[in-house]
Amino acid sequence: MTEGTRGQAARQVAMVMDLNKCLGCQTCTVACKKLWNRENGSDYSYWNNVETLPGEGYPRRWQETGGRDADGDVKRGEVPRLDQDYGRAWKFNHADVVHSNSHQGDTWLKPEGQPGWGPNWDEDRGAGRYPRDNHYFYLPRICNHCTHPACLDACPRKAIEKREQDGIVLVDQDRCHGYRFCVEACPYKKVYFDTERQVANKCIFCMPRVEEGVAPACARQCPGRLRFVGFLDDEEGPIHKLVEKWKVALPLHPEYGLEPNVFYVPPMSPPALDQKGRPTGEPRIPTATLEGLFGPKVKDALATVAAERVKRKRGEPSELMDILIAYDWNESFELGAGGAATPLDGRG
Amino acid sequence: MEGRSPQDLENEDTPSGPSSGLSRRGFLKISGATAATLPLLHFSSHASQGASGMPADRPRLTNWEDLYRERWSWDRIAKGSHGWLNCRSACNWNLYVKDGVVVREEQTANYEASEPGVPDFNPRGCQKGACYTEVMYGPSRLTVPLKRAGERGEGKWQQISWDQALREIAEKLIDICQRHGGEALVQDLGPHFDLGATNAARNRFFGMLGASLPDDWAEIGDLNVGATLALGIPHIGGSADEWFLSDFLVVWMMNPSVTQMSDAHFLYEAKYNGADLVVIDPVYSATAMRADHWLPLEPGSDAALGLATARHIIESGRVDLDYVREQTDLPILVRLDTGRFLREADLEEGGAEDLLYMWDEKQDALVAAPGSRGNDERVKLHLDGLEPVIDGRFEVELADGSPCVVAPVGALLREHLATWTFERAASLTGLDVGMVREFAEGFAAAERPMVLSSWGSNRYFNSDLINRTKILCLSLKGAIGKKGAGYHSTGWVGIDGFGMTANESGEGFLGTLRGMAKVFGNTKVIGMLVDKIAGKKSQAQFEHELARHLTTGEDSCLTNSASQNYRFQGVAADLAREQDHLYPRPLASYVEESESKGWMPTHPAKTEPRCWVTGGSNVLRRSNLPQRMLQNLWPKLELVIDVNQKHTFTGLHADYLLPAAGYYEKPGIKYSVAYVPYLHYCDRAVKPVGEAKDEWELYSLLAREIQRIAIERDLEPTRGCGRERVELKTFADRFSFAGEYGPDDVEGVNQKILEASPSAEGMTVEGLKKTGIAKYRSVGGMGIQENLFNSDWKGEGVMRSLTDMSEHRWRWPTFTGRQQCYIDHPWFIEAGESLPDHRPSPSAGGDHPFQFVSCHSRWSIHSVWRDTTMLLRLQRGEPVVYLNPDEARELGVEDGGWAKISNDYGAIHMRAKHSVMVRPKVAYYFHAWEPHQFPDHKSYKWLIPGLMKPLHFAGGDGHLGWFFGHFEPGTHVQDTRVAIAPSEGPDSQEGSA
Repeated sequence: MTEGTRGQAARQVAMVMDLNKCLGCQTCTVACKKLWNRENGSDYSYWNNVETLPGEGYPRRWQETGGRDADGDVKRGEVPRLDQDYGRAWKFNHADVVHSNSHQGDTWLKPEGQPGWGPNWDEDRGAGRYPRDNHYFYLPRICNHCTHPACLDACPRKAIEKREQDGIVLVDQDRCHGYRFCVEACPYKKVYFDTERQVANKCIFCMPRVEEGVAPACARQCPGRLRFVGFLDDEEGPIHKLVEKWKVALPLHPEYGLEPNVFYVPPMSPPALDQKGRPTGEPRIPTATLEGLFGPKVKDALATVAAERVKRKRGEPSELMDILIAYDWNESFELGAGGAATPLDGRG
Repeated sequence: MEGRSPQDLENEDTPSGPSSGLSRRGFLKISGATAATLPLLHFSSHASQGASGMPADRPRLTNWEDLYRERWSWDRIAKGSHGWLNCRSACNWNLYVKDGVVVREEQTANYEASEPGVPDFNPRGCQKGACYTEVMYGPSRLTVPLKRAGERGEGKWQQISWDQALREIAEKLIDICQRHGGEALVQDLGPHFDLGATNAARNRFFGMLGASLPDDWAEIGDLNVGATLALGIPHIGGSADEWFLSDFLVVWMMNPSVTQMSDAHFLYEAKYNGADLVVIDPVYSATAMRADHWLPLEPGSDAALGLATARHIIESGRVDLDYVREQTDLPILVRLDTGRFLREADLEEGGAEDLLYMWDEKQDALVAAPGSRGNDERVKLHLDGLEPVIDGRFEVELADGSPCVVAPVGALLREHLATWTFERAASLTGLDVGMVREFAEGFAAAERPMVLSSWGSNRYFNSDLINRTKILCLSLKGAIGKKGAGYHSTGWVGIDGFGMTANESGEGFLGTLRGMAKVFGNTKVIGMLVDKIAGKKSQAQFEHELARHLTTGEDSCLTNSASQNYRFQGVAADLAREQDHLYPRPLASYVEESESKGWMPTHPAKTEPRCWVTGGSNVLRRSNLPQRMLQNLWPKLELVIDVNQKHTFTGLHADYLLPAAGYYEKPGIKYSVAYVPYLHYCDRAVKPVGEAKDEWELYSLLAREIQRIAIERDLEPTRGCGRERVELKTFADRFSFAGEYGPDDVEGVNQKILEASPSAEGMTVEGLKKTGIAKYRSVGGMGIQENLFNSDWKGEGVMRSLTDMSEHRWRWPTFTGRQQCYIDHPWFIEAGESLPDHRPSPSAGGDHPFQFVSCHSRWSIHSVWRDTTMLLRLQRGEPVVYLNPDEARELGVEDGGWAKISNDYGAIHMRAKHSVMVRPKVAYYFHAWEPHQFPDHKSYKWLIPGLMKPLHFAGGDGHLGWFFGHFEPGTHVQDTRVAIAPSEGPDSQEGSA
C-alpha cells in the first residue's frame, strides 16, 4: 500500500453522486469551469467532467493507464497528451463569419484545426447493439480527495497537502515546480498541468465555499439533484447513511487502493432484449461493466435499491428512497458547524 | 469579509461590527430580516459559524489559497433569469457582478415544495443558463447598430449611430406604411419572447402600425393540434412535481433529461417513490436510459401502440365508465348515414346545430347531452341520474320523418379498435408483441397513468393522430384532470397584464378600459359575458372564448406563420408534389376553401410582405427550405431589421442590425410555463453591453421618431391591418400610454404588467428584485396563451390543470363540450380521421433510405448558445449527424468523418457521430445549428420541405378553426427522408451538389 501519506485528515468531507439521476447535462462541468479554470494554460482542463461510459473518457483511456502494479504500488502512469488525450481547447473563427467581410459560404464557423478529442467527445456513443443491449450512462468525475492520495505521495516537492480540517487535497501553487509526477501518479487523472503557469492544479472541492459552509459549485448547481455533500463521520447526514448504513454508494475503482471520498450509487438500466425483442430481465448495462468501475459490491448495492423501490411500491416507508428522492434538496448538503441543515429562511 | 462575503454584498446597508467588520448582531439581522434574498444554502448556519470565531478579517491575497478565495468573490448580486428566451424552464439565478461585469451565475435555491410529500423545485437551471455570460460577452455579441454596406448576406457592415439608425428606419417604416399599408410589415413573433416589457414593446409598436404578427407555434412544430382536437386546449399540465405523484409514468415523445433539465428529477424521484417509468422513443435517449421499460418503436408508429392499448383498456373492462359517460364524447350519438353528430337541427326544423344527444339507458330514450353547447338547461356535465350508453345502435326519427340509425361514439370506437390487436400494433411498431401487451396491461392496471408529451411530439405529419390516441387511452382510464395522472404537454400560467400592455387600446390606462369597451361592444362578446354572469360558463371558459375572439377578430393582426409561408415563401409547389396524393384533394384546395370561408385568415391579406422585423426569432435559420425564402420572399422585402443581442444567420441577411440588451441587461418577466409555479423576474444586473438598448427604450425612441417625422411633414394617417387610420402624429404619445411610460420606464412597464395580472397579485418589481421569484397566486386568466382551467388553485399545493371540468363539471372547450375522440368536421370524415387512427409517416424529400429526424438539443435553446465556445468545446465543435454505429460502418461513414446528406432538394455536409442510441435507418440531428456553421452555409433545413397537414386548415366547426397558439396549420419535419454517404468533405467532387 501507499507509504508515508502525510496529512491524515481529522475529518473528511465527501460527496455521493446518484448515477440514477444524472442527466448528462454538464451543468456541473460548466459551473466548475466558470468558477475555477478559465486561464489559457488550463482552458483544456476540467476539474469536473462528465463522461459517457462505456467510452474512452476524459482524458482518453484514463482507466487504462492508472492503477497499481502487481505489488500494489501505484503505477507511475503517463502524462496524457494535450491534443490526443485531453483535446486542446478549440479556438473558433467567429470574427471571420459573423462580422467580417467574408463571403457567404466560403467561411463557416468551425474549430481551428481538426479536433480529434475533447472532454465530451464520447458523449452518448455507448456500446452494445440497438435495440437489444445498446447502453450508456453518465459518470461525473471530480478529484476523489482520496484518503491515500497517490498524487501526494508522488510529489518530490511535498507540494500536495491533505487538509487536516476537511481532508481536501490541494496542490500548493507556490511550492509546485511543475514536475508532473502527480499527474502521472493519479490513476483517475484528475491532476492537471497549467501549461502557462507551469504548475499542477486540480479540483479544490471548492475549498473557499466549503470553508463557509457552502457546497461545491458542481454539487450545488446540479439540476439533476444527484450530489450529496457532507462529512463522512456525520452519522445523521446523507453521506454516512448512503455509504455506511445502506451501502449503496461505492467508490470508483476501489481496487486502486486510494480510498476515494467520492462515492457513486451505481446506475440501473432498462432490461436488455433477446433476439425476438423480448425483455430478458438482465440490465442493459452489464453488471461486469459496473463491477469494473465500482468493485464487487455493485450487485448488493443495486439489489438494495431495487428492494427498497419494491417496498415503496407497496406503500411502505423507506429511509433510503427518502434520501435519494431528496425532498428538501437543501438538506443534501451538510457542511454547517453543527451538521444540521438550516433551511434558507423565508423561502418563497 | 472585505467584499467577498455574500452577506455584506447582498445587504450593503447592513451595519458592520466595530472590529471584525461583521458583528453577530449583523448576522442575526441578515438571517432574520433579509434571508429570503440570501443566495446560497446554509448561510444561516455559516453565519453562526463565522460569528463564533471564524476569521472575519482574513487578510486577502497573502498566499496562494487566497487566490482561490478571491475567485469566489463579487461586488454585488442581482437576481436574474433568461427572460427573453424560448426556454420552457424558468430558473432563478444569482448574477455575480464584479467590476461592472457579470462574472458568473449560480442558481438560487429558494423554491419550496408544493405540498408535503413531493420534492421541491431546487435548484432549477442548466449548463446553458450557467454560462449565459459567455453569450453576453461572447464573440457573436452585437454591441453597436450596424447598417448593411454591401449586398444582403455579403457580410459587409457599417457602424452607424442610434440616431441615424432610428431616423432611417422610421422613414422607411413610414414609407412602407404609406405605399403598402401597415400589414406589409411583418413582425416575426417568435420563438423567443418574454411576458414583460420587451415583448410588450415590440407587439405594441407593430400592433399600433397595423403590422402582420405571425404566430409560429405550429410552424416550428411545437403546437399540439392533436390535444386541441381532443380537449380544445393544446397546453395542458400543471407543475412538474405532479409527475412525482403518478404510479405509471409514460414519457411518450419527450426527452426531459435533455430538454427539461430542471424538472427531469421529478421523474427519477417518482421511480424511487414506486412509479413505473416507461419511455416510448425510437432513440435510446438520456431519458430512455432511466426507464423501467424502454419501447424502441419505429419512428412515427406511436398511434398503433396507443390504439392497441385503448383496445386493451376496453376489452379488459378497465374503462372508468362513470367518468367517460360524464366527461367524454363516448355517449354522444353519431348519425351512421352521414358520420355527423346527431343535432337538434336533424330532429326538428329550426333546431340548434350545437345541441347534441345521448341515449339514456334508464328511459330508453334520447336525451340532450349535458354540457352540450346548445343545452341551455344543463350547462354543466353532471349526469344527475342519467345513464347514457356508450355502445349499441338506435333508431331515431329525423325532422322529415325518415328514420336514421345512430350510435354512440363509444360504439364506433369499439368497432374501430377491433382490429387493433397487440399483434397488429407489434408488426407496425416493430416491438415484440409481449412488450406491447405488457405496456397495455401496465397502462390499464395503473391507478394514475400519466403521459408526458412534449412540443416535439408534434413534428410528424400525423402527430395529431398520435396525440389524440395518447389522450384517448388516458380518457378511457378517467385520468385526465385527476391528480397525479393525465396528460402533460406544457401548461401556461396566464399573465393577463401582458396582453393589455402589449396591445394598443388607446391612450393611458383609461384607454385600456376603452379597449375593453370596444370589445364588449361586440354582440358576440356580450353574449359570452351574459352567459358568464348567468352561471352558464366558468370564468376560465369565458376567458378562453374571449381570448379566441380577440386573437381571431377583425382588428387582430395575429396570423399564422405556416399559411404565410405557404403564400409567400414559394413552397406551395414543393408541398403539392410531396403530399397531394395523401388526401382526397390537393393541399391547395383545402387552403383555398379555408381562406374563402375565413377559417384561417392570413396576413398580409391585401399585399405582400415588404418589411421583415425579427427580434428573438431567426427565420432563415428555423424555416424549412430557407433557400425558397431567400429566393422568393427576400427579394420582395424593402427592409429587413434584426433586433438582437447577437449576430444570427437571419441577421447576416438583414439590412439593419440593432443591438438589443441581453438577459442580464434589462428588466423582464420570464414567460410562464406551469412546470414551475413561480413568476420569474429578471433584474438588470448591469448596464447594456456596448450601445445595446432594451426593447422598451428602442421602440419608444422609434415611436418618437415616427411621430416627429409625421408632425414635421404633416403626414396623413396610414392604414394597417384591422386599422383604417393609424395616426402617426400621435404615435409616440399613444405608445407611451399618454406619456406615462417614457423610454427609461421599462421597470414601470413591468410593474404595470404585474399589477394587471391576477396570477401575480401582490407582486412588485421592487420585491421581485430581492427574491427573483414569487409563487403565483392563481393560474391566471386570459393570458396570450391559455389558462389552466383550475379555478381552485390559489398558490397552495401541486398546481394541477383541467379541474374546472374534471371536478367542477364545467364543459370542455370543444364542440361537444367533452373530451372528444370523434371529430365530425366534413374534412375529417372525408379523410377517414374522425377517430384516432394510425397512418404511416409519409416520405418527404423523395424516396431515400434514412428517416431524418430532429431532436431538441441539450446544448442550446434554439440558436442562442449554438456558437458559444465554452459549450462547443463540450461537444464536437461542429454540427453532427447521429448515426447507428453498425450502419455507419457499413456505409463507410466514420465517426468524426464527413457525411454527405442528400435528397430531392440537394445535398449538405455534416460530420458524423456514431451513437448506439440511434435506430438503424434513422439519422438524427440536434436542433438549431446556424446555417453559417455548415459548409456553404447550408444546414439540414435545406433538405426539409416541412409537410403541412391539410386538415389543420379546417374551421367553421366548434373548436376547429384559427386560434392563436391553439389551432393552426404547421410544418412537420420528421417525415423527411435522406440518403447518407461518406464524403471527403465539402471541397471534394461529390460535395458540390
